[in-house]
Amino acid sequence: MTYALGIDAGSSFVKAAVFGEGKLRSYSILPSGGNYAQAARKAAEAALERAGLSFNDITNTAATGWGAAAVDFARRTAAEISCHGAGVFYLFPSARTAVDIGGQFSRAIRLDDQGRATHFVQNEKCAAGSGRFLQVIARILHMKVEDIGELSLKSANPVKFTTGCAVFAESEAVSRIAEGASPADILAGIHKAMAAKIVNLILRLGISEDCVVTGGGAKDMGLVRTLENELGVKVLVPEEPRISAALGAALLESQPCI
Amino acid sequence: MTQVESGNYFAGVDIGSTMTKVVILGEGKEFCLIGPTGPEHRKMANRVMEEALRSASISLEDLTYIIATGYGRINVPFADRQVTEITCHAKGMARLIPSARTVIDIGGQDSKGIRLENGKVIDFVMNDKCAAGTGRFLEIIADALGVPLTKLGELSLSAEKPASISNTCTVFAEQEVISQLAAGESIPNLVAGIHQAAATRIHAMVSKLKFERDVAVTGGGAKNQGLVKALEAKFGFSLLIPGEPLVTGALGAALIGKEMCARAARKGVTLARKPRQLSEASFCC
Repeated sequence: MTYALGIDAGSSFVKAAVFGEGKLRSYSILPSGGNYAQAARKAAEAALERAGLSFNDITNTAATGWGAAAVDFARRTAAEISCHGAGVFYLFPSARTAVDIGGQFSRAIRLDDQGRATHFVQNEKCAAGSGRFLQVIARILHMKVEDIGELSLKSANPVKFTTGCAVFAESEAVSRIAEGASPADILAGIHKAMAAKIVNLILRLGISEDCVVTGGGAKDMGLVRTLENELGVKVLVPEEPRISAALGAALLESQPCI
Repeated sequence: MTQVESGNYFAGVDIGSTMTKVVILGEGKEFCLIGPTGPEHRKMANRVMEEALRSASISLEDLTYIIATGYGRINVPFADRQVTEITCHAKGMARLIPSARTVIDIGGQDSKGIRLENGKVIDFVMNDKCAAGTGRFLEIIADALGVPLTKLGELSLSAEKPASISNTCTVFAEQEVISQLAAGESIPNLVAGIHQAAATRIHAMVSKLKFERDVAVTGGGAKNQGLVKALEAKFGFSLLIPGEPLVTGALGAALIGKEMCARAARKGVTLARKPRQLSEASFCC
């Protein structure tokens, strides 16, 4: 039996996925830290162990993501867009728009009925619609990024932010906190500001359903709900939204080359 | 409301996002005071004004006309009028550097390019949407490097080879600086790289104007000689810096007040004034 390994070396997390016998066998997610090669190897080892496999069982390995070039044990690097598209399409064959909210980038990809990426737009210039925005706000509210979503959903009166810039929003949040705004209302406001940026990106591409959201941002239910409201479309989220590109990389490696 | 008769003192109050500046124009004399804005604009406007009055040895009642400008200009209860900072910068610069045809203002939370003729604004561009290319960008990087903001200029002058830093987003640039520092890059090289990134951004913005020489720089950014040097490299010629670049807007506001009063006097009309008290006004008036 042949198995393929996919590594997605993202700016915040390294993800590894093992694909074989027609399905996802295992995955692991580790913080990228300062050394992509090391983090990637550890993530791969963890995923292999979970699948009861070793490096010897792997026929092909592909790396994708921001730090892909540093993954020294990969046979090749693969384009992020194709990997995301393939991973999302595997998880949701009905997906035609794949939105990825990563640590530094957000992007929207159009998929055809074969799961091929036909168009995409991305924001790589600015932290406004990316996970970094959430990290910045979590820091000033002294909370964990993973707790943001739940708290934001409790907001009755979202703070209206006048800016999309993460830096200016940080100062604005500090002022609103000083005036007595609750953390829930601040977070809900931040989600609106982020969603506005992401919706802009999606609308530049044009939305076709189903719309699937992945990346670390998709774990934030406050952000996902806000996106749904602003888009006016139901949004699907995989059980583990962070592994779609790693899964896609493994998937593309396990298919015969044409 | 009292009515203006005649007087010899005019004040400009510029409440920026970071610093509050007051200029008092007297008979042949000018008094400037600068203090940090902080979260309570009104208190700070009062404090800086009090100190400026003290240094001019006059009282608030002695001021004929007071104009407020800047981001916090509505928070000056004792100002007779509000004028935008773009108009005030142009007016102030025409006095400080009469040959200036273009002004670059690098403020705490925005940056602007202004084209002027005879002290009047004929065109401008502004970035207040994104922190890149503003004072905030330098502030955040200085923080990340553990270096005081005021030392950035000097530090960058000892750079051997400026580091390459992204000029697009402050958040990304901060992360780049931290990882390059961890990889062993020197602080002077990083600071010089940051100045280049900011200069690239500001130059691109100002280039949207059909700018003409001379080009002068004001605002807190003009006090950073490393940034000015990086900007000069981008423009390919020398830039002019006033003696105290922070007060250009406040000076312009005071000058505009003086001109308005002179014009009113010629027409024989009187200008309405606000009560001369440094009380903390409430929001409901």
